[in-house]
Amino acid sequence: MKTLHLLSHSPFTDQRLTSCLHVIGANDGLLLTGDAVLALQPGSLQRKALELMPAGVQLFALEEDLIARHLQDCLPERVNSVDYPRFVALSLQADKVNSWL
Amino acid sequence: MQFAIAVFSAPEQASNRRALRFAEAVLAEGHAISRLFFYQAGVHSASSQQVTAQDELDLPRAWHEFVTQHQLDAVVCIAAALRRGQLNQAEAERYNRDGYSVQTPWELSGLGQLHDAAQSADRLICFGGP
Repeated sequence: MKTLHLLSHSPFTDQRLTSCLHVIGANDGLLLTGDAVLALQPGSLQRKALELMPAGVQLFALEEDLIARHLQDCLPERVNSVDYPRFVALSLQADKVNSWL
Repeated sequence: MQFAIAVFSAPEQASNRRALRFAEAVLAEGHAISRLFFYQAGVHSASSQQVTAQDELDLPRAWHEFVTQHQLDAVVCIAAALRRGQLNQAEAERYNRDGYSVQTPWELSGLGQLHDAAQSADRLICFGGP
């Protein structure tokens, strides 16, 4: 993974996810945290956009934030739920981590 | 591996708590934290004066305990801290203020410390926003 992108803003009130999906590289990863996991809301355009990303883009979501929003049982197949130890490991797998502050 | 962790958000933001949980996991997984850097509203994490509601996680206290327990290098941006009223004793005396809210183990220093941490660590991870 070249760059791991870190998002925390809700995609329904903010353009960061849209901007991120425009610039994300073919071998980058995207980790949704906080309200950014709302992009996985079933039926949403944001979820569709994520499902249509090139296969090389790895998608992750922080487990505790999925559970807090009851999205843990309806994840798209390509989205992996990660805990904090896995978050740390992902940040080391990537060459660098880019937080969309 | 060496991590530098920068916190841009105030303790009432969930990203501040995520930064702490991530930092705990870094050490639990056997890695090291070369520096914690608190910038913008993140400087409130170092306040000894913030009072958290009883049924909420007291993040300034949790950060204080984490930094103390692991003897970490915890730097608070001095310019961001002064403009938000987070002074240590030396700054309170310098600017003739009645009280101060930043004590050990926190250190007030410049943004250069973030640059230095970013250069020397294997990874810089920033936490901010909601």
